[in-house]
Amino acid sequence: MNIRSQISRRVLLAAVGAGLMIGATASMAAAQTVEAIKAAGTLKVGMLVDFPPFGIMNTSNQPDGYDADVAKLLAKELGVKVQIVPVTGPNRIPYLQSSQVDLLVASLGITEERAKTVDFSEPYAGISIGVFGATGTKVSKPEDLSGKSVGVARASTQDTAVTKVAPKDTKIQRFDDDASAVQALLSGQVDLIGVSNVVAAQIEKAAPGRFDQKLQLSQQVQGIAVRKGSTEVLTAVNAFIAKVKADGELNTIHEKWLGAPLPDFVAAAKK
Amino acid sequence: MYQFNFAPVFAGFDQLAMGAWLTIQLSVAAMVIGLIVSILCAAGKTSGITPLRFVIDVYIEVIRNTPFLVQIFFIFFGLPSLGLRLTPNSAALLALVINFGAYGTEIIRAGIESIQKGQVEAGTALGLSKLQIFRYIVVKPALRTVYPALTSQFIYLMLTSSVVSAISADDLAAAGNNLQSQTFASFEVYIVITLMYLVMSTGFSAIFAVIEKAAFKYPLSR
Repeated sequence: MNIRSQISRRVLLAAVGAGLMIGATASMAAAQTVEAIKAAGTLKVGMLVDFPPFGIMNTSNQPDGYDADVAKLLAKELGVKVQIVPVTGPNRIPYLQSSQVDLLVASLGITEERAKTVDFSEPYAGISIGVFGATGTKVSKPEDLSGKSVGVARASTQDTAVTKVAPKDTKIQRFDDDASAVQALLSGQVDLIGVSNVVAAQIEKAAPGRFDQKLQLSQQVQGIAVRKGSTEVLTAVNAFIAKVKADGELNTIHEKWLGAPLPDFVAAAKK
Repeated sequence: MYQFNFAPVFAGFDQLAMGAWLTIQLSVAAMVIGLIVSILCAAGKTSGITPLRFVIDVYIEVIRNTPFLVQIFFIFFGLPSLGLRLTPNSAALLALVINFGAYGTEIIRAGIESIQKGQVEAGTALGLSKLQIFRYIVVKPALRTVYPALTSQFIYLMLTSSVVSAISADDLAAAGNNLQSQTFASFEVYIVITLMYLVMSTGFSAIFAVIEKAAFKYPLSR
């Protein structure tokens, strides 16, 4: 009885060990080369399709947006066709690791945590949070928010960011979502709002020239991700990003989707 | 099994108390002003002046057939385009008054219509002025008749006021949402604010019962 249970425990341990080893080899196996991509003739790109304006499905139900344009440009650079694979926030890294896509142009924010599992290129896009207001409003530093009203979406990143820097006598008005905060700005119910540059681009579209950014509070750059150890592909991708930054093509894409030139924190950024 | 942790909620209790105080202030102000609006509109509606009755009918139908959230957005986000910019709290009060007025008018109108014509005629025969007749013979007995319906509409007004957090007024619901987003103790926060609303409702009911005894204690019939 005792011996039998000991044996079965050993078998179990062995099985678990073997499983771990298989798992480890699976995730190591698939380093990618440019050669292999060119041989295949298609670049398989994982992309979000539910993250406007970076990744969307357009009216003909095709993936579109900032990321799609970057992916197409990258494929053109490599001289291959592009195949966009829709992925979601939680499964995008597993898609890459299991070799179902060659790389991710999926608005993946560059973080230390993620850099442990994938290799990031230089930043190709970015999301920033800032304070926006009417062009005439004079605010250039957080202290200038004193006595002004600032609308934010309750409990959002922008709420936290504004609350952190605003002086005590700033009136922070918390709405249920970004849309209400924007509405409050447009109708003059608040002097300023804290939103991301993505929302700011929508405001610019609705009311061109009326509002501009006063302060930048935080920023997050996004990189193209390749499988760990795919140094050669990463070099090619970085060369591509440097090229499109230099010749203005990335700027054109940014203008097209976000209604503003590529921000400095992306253009000048090194990860 | 879910582990309750009320400590962060009680740490932020002053926020909730501030919110509850605004809810009470808004509710009481809206009840008083709303009651006056209701009486005036009910008087207008039963006055027999057709254009006036038509205007009041339109008001009642528009308000009773649209959501309160839309009404409050209209006042807060829409009116600034016409040059009327209200703070969140005054926009909330105005919306509550306008909303209550529509329901209150119908309730009081029902009360007024329950007064028999003969009583008004008796008042005229006694030489009372029009205002005296309206005040003592029409409104007071009418209010007594519809008092239960009116008070439940008052309570409903207080509960509806939780919607004003949508225009960034810092009422109890807004304070609860803020605290919830800071502490992530959503279940605990909502349990506490539910209890606070319950206490306020029962408190208001108790006050209404006292008012009823004080104001309408004369005998209904001999």
